[in-house]
Amino acid sequence: MSSSADGTTASLYVPVDCEIIAVSDLTPHEKLFRLRLKNGAPLGHLPGQFVQVSLLGWEEAPISVASSPTRTDYFEMGIRRTGSLTSAMHELTAGDLIGVRGPFGRPFELPKLRGHDLLLISGGCGLAPLRSLIHYCEDRPEEFGALTILYGAKSPGDVLFKDDFALWETSARFACSRTVDQVPEGDCYSGGVGLITSLIPPLEIDPHRTVAVLVGPPVMYRAVIAELKKKGLSSDRIVVSLERHMRCGVGKCGHCTIEHLYCCQDGPVFWLNEIEHLRGAL
Amino acid sequence: MKYLSNEQIPDFFSSLQATHEVRLPIMLPDGTRCLGHPGDGTVALFGGALPAKPTAAFFPHEGPVFVAASEGFTEPSAPEKPLLVVGFTSRDLACLRFIDRFFAEGWRDDIYFRNRQGALVVGVSGYCGPGGASLALADGDCDFELVWDRTRWLVVSHTGAGSAIVEGLAETVSDGTLERLRKEMAVYEDENEKAIRRASELIRADRVPDTFWSEIGDRCIACTGCNLACPTCTCFGVQDWRYAGRVKRSRMWDSCQLDGFMREASGHNPLGTEGLRTRRRIHHKLAADPDRWGEISCFVCGRCDAVCPTGIGIFAVARELIERFGNI
Ligand SMILES: Cc1cc2nc3c(=O)[nH]c(=O)nc-3n(C[C@H](O)[C@H](O)[C@H](O)COP(=O)(O)OP(=O)(O)OC[C@H]3O[C@@H](n4cnc5c(N)ncnc54)[C@H](O)[C@@H]3O)c2cc1C
Ligand code: SF4
Ligand code: SF4
Ligand code: FES
Repeated sequence: MSSSADGTTASLYVPVDCEIIAVSDLTPHEKLFRLRLKNGAPLGHLPGQFVQVSLLGWEEAPISVASSPTRTDYFEMGIRRTGSLTSAMHELTAGDLIGVRGPFGRPFELPKLRGHDLLLISGGCGLAPLRSLIHYCEDRPEEFGALTILYGAKSPGDVLFKDDFALWETSARFACSRTVDQVPEGDCYSGGVGLITSLIPPLEIDPHRTVAVLVGPPVMYRAVIAELKKKGLSSDRIVVSLERHMRCGVGKCGHCTIEHLYCCQDGPVFWLNEIEHLRGAL
Repeated sequence: MKYLSNEQIPDFFSSLQATHEVRLPIMLPDGTRCLGHPGDGTVALFGGALPAKPTAAFFPHEGPVFVAASEGFTEPSAPEKPLLVVGFTSRDLACLRFIDRFFAEGWRDDIYFRNRQGALVVGVSGYCGPGGASLALADGDCDFELVWDRTRWLVVSHTGAGSAIVEGLAETVSDGTLERLRKEMAVYEDENEKAIRRASELIRADRVPDTFWSEIGDRCIACTGCNLACPTCTCFGVQDWRYAGRVKRSRMWDSCQLDGFMREASGHNPLGTEGLRTRRRIHHKLAADPDRWGEISCFVCGRCDAVCPTGIGIFAVARELIERFGNI
């Protein structure tokens, strides 16, 4: 038996009710959901953690919390429509109820990030979990050194969190660069074009003061890590968040294993030196 | 020491139904030996390990997570009376000990422990193996043990709960059978067990190339039998069943030999080839679990070799692997 978010003792596998406060479009495929636990308690998460979103009849899916715990009135999730549950989510509107279990997983290790320059790198949907950390940095800027945000999307239409970006780009606290892989003909777009790896060589990095945090699709990791290593960053200064198929979120269903590790429990956030030698990790 | 004659066995277990939900090996009319209720068929303690894993009494093939309706969530309740499950060999008991630990550590799996908590586990050993072969004594890991000495079942209790259950049984003088069996087992070194240990060493020393896993993988037809038979395979999937006015969420055994087992929504699949899936099946028991839990999680029960239609159960793979990479 475990203690659920509303304080009563219930099964580890029974979700708690959560109310949708607002829904907005991020792109044609992604929506941002703002939510609140029905009992009014804060979710109690740390940046980098996820919840198991539950819709009756559609099972569950792991979704990262995209907002910072410093903002306690609500929490947010950016959800891409990819299959049955996520499509059903996209039909919901403010006032609807969903279930959540969690938060689960190992968060970004804030005590080890404090005092460092952070290189916050994301590709595609990876910006959703990283946004939680970026908002945290926005709210507690005194805890960190220089903050750099790098973001790559497939095309201008796939760029997530444009409103946030507009704020980060004008903030004195962040240095921001973003790029898209390609611009479809006829699109009106003025930003950079090229792979996310192209954003790294121009940076001036002190490898002894910097920690890089990477969240993105599997194809992104190797290439970006190679560029970071050229800049002198060692594996104990690189943090990655890995996606795996997850059914339970609590280390029991076996779907998320990386050799002897369980991504849902031991991760999804790892220091690179913990996993780079493991078969199939990256 | 307590004992039971073979003729007393059915009545003894039937009498325990007053206080326990009893499951014991029975023979179905078609000749299948499986766990059942007393009275479902003739009691079938002889013949060695049951073809299906007895741990299924606690972690069934399919079971409810909850039922959701307008009045809220209903969780499955614990059995009215505690379970009493008979028929575990010493190897099955080692498997049970392993999964007890797996389900308890970290987040405690309340669904598993709803069945497991308070349950009594009964081992079988002695000369009751296939064709009268001897089965090793468990000497623990269960509440009590039935040891066939070729004329009667010696009843050896290992816990207070076990002693309480067998308290009323007749006493016999100890004639050295237990000691004799224990000695017999000590000199008899199991070839399969040796092969499993050696294969584990070779895999962990990185002596097994990917081409080997691909070759074995080519012989796998992804029937999932090995996983479904294995007492230490605990992977599960989740499925919602929609009925008028309610949804039942259930979980059921899953298999790492299926290509969708790890496929992510992005299409990325860490187990994208049969070679990788075959490696996962063997590597997980012989290398990953030793790294995580400090012990090999194959306890040599023999079920996956018995069930695999193409002859690539873990013993067969271990032997082939040792033959090819053991001397280089
Ligand atoms: C730690 C973590 C954080 C995530 N964060 C986000 C996020 O912030 N936003 C977001 O949009 N997505 C996120 N995802 C991905 C998200 O979980 C999947 O898109 C979702 O499970 C798809 O569910 P579905 O029912 O809509 O698709 P389905 O109809 O179930 O399936 C579509 C495909 O997804 C695969 N799949 C099924 N179930 C899972 C599962 N539980 N996990 C992974 N793949 C699965 C299937 O094999 C199938 O190929 C995250 C995943 C993980 C592991
Ligand atoms: S012999 Fe096969 S079925 Fe039995 S524990 Fe080992 S891997 Fe599992
Ligand atoms: S039992 Fe044999 S054929 Fe079937 S999935 Fe397992 S290894 Fe493959
Ligand atoms: S998601 Fe079930 S074990 Fe990790």
